[in-house]
Amino acid sequence: MEVPSEYPEVGFMPLMCQHCNHAPCETVCPVAATTHSDEGFNQMTYNRCIGTRYCANNCPYKVRRFNWFNYVADSKFTNLNPAQDDLSRMVLNPDVVVRSRGVMEKCSLCVQRVQAGKLAAKKASEPLRDGAIQTACSAACPTNAITFGDINDKSSKVRTDAMNDRAYHLLEEVGVKPNVWYQTKVRNSMQTAAEPTA
Amino acid sequence: MTKAIYALYDDDEVMVNGAKAILAKNVRIKDVYSPFPIHGLENVLGIKWTRLAINAFLYGFTALALALAGMSFFMIQDWPMNIGGKPNFDLYQNLPAFIPITFEFTVLCAAHGMAITYLIRNWTLPGVKARNPHPRTTDDHFAIEIDRTENAGVSDDEIKSILQGTNPVEIFEK
Amino acid sequence: MQKESAIREPLILGDKTYHQITEDVCAPVEGKANKYWYMAFSVAVIVALWGVGCILYTIGRGIGVWGLNTTVDWAWDITNFVWWVGIGHAGTLISAVLLLFRQKWRMAINRSAEAMTIFAVMMAALFPGIHMGRIWMAYWVFPLPNQFGSLWVNFNSPLLWDVFAISTYFSVSLVFWYIGLIPDFATIRDRAVKPVSKMAYSVLSFGWTGNAKAWIRFEEVSLVLAGLATPLVFSVHSIVSMDFATSVIPGWHTTIFPPYFVAGAIFSGFAMVQTLLLIARKVLSLESYITVKHIEYMNIVIVITGSIVGVAYLSELFISWYSGVEYEGYAFMNRATGPYWWAYASMMTCNVIIPQLFWFKGIRRSLITSFILSIFVNVGMWFERFVIIVTSLHRDFLPSNWGMFHPTFVDVGIFLGTIGIFFVLFLLYSRFFPVLALNELKSILKSSGDNYKKLHHND
Repeated sequence: MEVPSEYPEVGFMPLMCQHCNHAPCETVCPVAATTHSDEGFNQMTYNRCIGTRYCANNCPYKVRRFNWFNYVADSKFTNLNPAQDDLSRMVLNPDVVVRSRGVMEKCSLCVQRVQAGKLAAKKASEPLRDGAIQTACSAACPTNAITFGDINDKSSKVRTDAMNDRAYHLLEEVGVKPNVWYQTKVRNSMQTAAEPTA
Repeated sequence: MTKAIYALYDDDEVMVNGAKAILAKNVRIKDVYSPFPIHGLENVLGIKWTRLAINAFLYGFTALALALAGMSFFMIQDWPMNIGGKPNFDLYQNLPAFIPITFEFTVLCAAHGMAITYLIRNWTLPGVKARNPHPRTTDDHFAIEIDRTENAGVSDDEIKSILQGTNPVEIFEK
Repeated sequence: MQKESAIREPLILGDKTYHQITEDVCAPVEGKANKYWYMAFSVAVIVALWGVGCILYTIGRGIGVWGLNTTVDWAWDITNFVWWVGIGHAGTLISAVLLLFRQKWRMAINRSAEAMTIFAVMMAALFPGIHMGRIWMAYWVFPLPNQFGSLWVNFNSPLLWDVFAISTYFSVSLVFWYIGLIPDFATIRDRAVKPVSKMAYSVLSFGWTGNAKAWIRFEEVSLVLAGLATPLVFSVHSIVSMDFATSVIPGWHTTIFPPYFVAGAIFSGFAMVQTLLLIARKVLSLESYITVKHIEYMNIVIVITGSIVGVAYLSELFISWYSGVEYEGYAFMNRATGPYWWAYASMMTCNVIIPQLFWFKGIRRSLITSFILSIFVNVGMWFERFVIIVTSLHRDFLPSNWGMFHPTFVDVGIFLGTIGIFFVLFLLYSRFFPVLALNELKSILKSSGDNYKKLHHND
């Protein structure tokens, strides 16, 4: 293994909720506000949350975000939050609820898009096609660096991507079994080529 | 006519010896009032030891069963959820996580159940009027109570002379 | 009559009779407070009000008014919570564990230590409440039937265990304390001359009569409650430690936590008892009852539990290296040498090094050094919790998530405020409650009183 401090290289790595199958955040919530869905999502029930922030502390990735203030009304955020004025409120996604003060929130893997996609497939009476559902981040990425799909579908792109040699889990050694895979960056570098990767 | 005759003492040992002497003369003692618990007095007076501890055990045992039943209903039967991938298919698998609350609930119910039983059994509740015969029995004096109805065969004068023989500081009727 | 060895130091000094004990203990309740009491009370009320103001500001505005951030989601709130709960442990230990071990010296200090427990646990219970983002939903932590049907709580969460542990601990301690108080309130009731206080203490004493059967039941209840409270003392701080021990965060995920937290709790609790009683014995003229021997006994408990805590610190440090886990090793290196090194150094100095001075007899029998050292322990134990909570969180697995915690005036205000509220309650207690367990002291007068011991020694 290379010693990271001897090869300082900067890489960009989007870090969102890893939707762990053994999610440490879920077990610690006293009111069961965060649980696992059948799809494998780590889901957050905003209106059950009482805001102990225990889940955020116990997240090894620190990807949970807390609503410290009432951002839609607090005067401290008037210049920052467009949602405080009636017209600019229109930027808010109508499919996503506005989280109130004192609740935890995090990446939901665009559960609203997943539900809509499932509904559309059901109406058309056909199985869910791979790639029919895109999360906001995978749809927005211009280089298609983010793939979203059904990991149980053997032919899906996300499955083949997750199973190839470059795929790995972030902090796999913590043992939380994430549902998000990353791929090692292929670098054209003399130093690392000399070192065999584990 | 008053119901009872009291002898007031200023020392616990004198009082205990007095009680023994009174009982030896076949005079029945209704009760003894003291400012602190006197060990061994129950043997002198022939009072059976309290069964409050058994009560506490029963309350605790009920609570233990209730806690386990409640948690397995809430977490396993009524609405099982996948929380952090922890096994929750039966009580046995989930038991380690249930032990802290089972223990706490057992202690909670045993302690409170026993305390409530104690207060009711003693009839010490808010608003109850105190029945001690002399205000100093909660300070430094000890009183022996002799009920006339319990000692119908013995005359007042006899009782008083027996009491007088036990070195009390005062004999009074109430 | 039980006799005690003549070489044992007497626990009640001077020429005391049953009546004199009553007089001495009832004097503060029946007399008038002096100007120092009013001064202390005024200061405590002002600090308490400031704290209440800060709490209301937090509830009105949001948790964001504290210095927390996405990396450090708990800091002073849970530090204060654990600190106060730990302090509470001494009272129950003194009244329950020492009762089971038949330690007579507990009788002079148990009442005040238990009062301290009750008030400290009240302060502790405040923090899990106000640290919630939505405190108005706090009742959701109880498994109450509700309009949503099958919506219950998560019994796997250590925080829920905490809810049950703290509420059980508080209510059982309160009951234990009050049952002991009833006969002593009756003493004050029977001595009261003013109609208002007569009526108040009549209600408080629940009509206690003190007949033979009542005393038998009293003794049995005390014994069984002590038996129930003893495992409770150990379980409560074990469960508090499980908030951390069951997590995945390096520095928190440590199996040593339950015993280490319990020892630390007793350590800090005895220090607080020492701080309070060294003042109380002077102000309330109770030097004959809370003797130098009592102070020494408590100092012995402090040095032993302090040493257990010291061993725990060192084994934690050793295991972090020996385990070979990089995250664990870093977490502890960071504690000792990272940006919060000063907190770690304060903790080590106050908790491990300074209490070792109590091995010297002169130091542990001196009132002044006892007082100073007890303050050090109180401070050190606060830092211990700060170190565990903040330094573990502020730098965990991914360096991109690293951050710092800086307290705001609200954090400081709430912490000081709880100290203020605590002292308001304790000062009121010292005016209106019998600060020593009258009935228990009277029962040991003949075996452990100075005058009686001399008498028995001579015959």
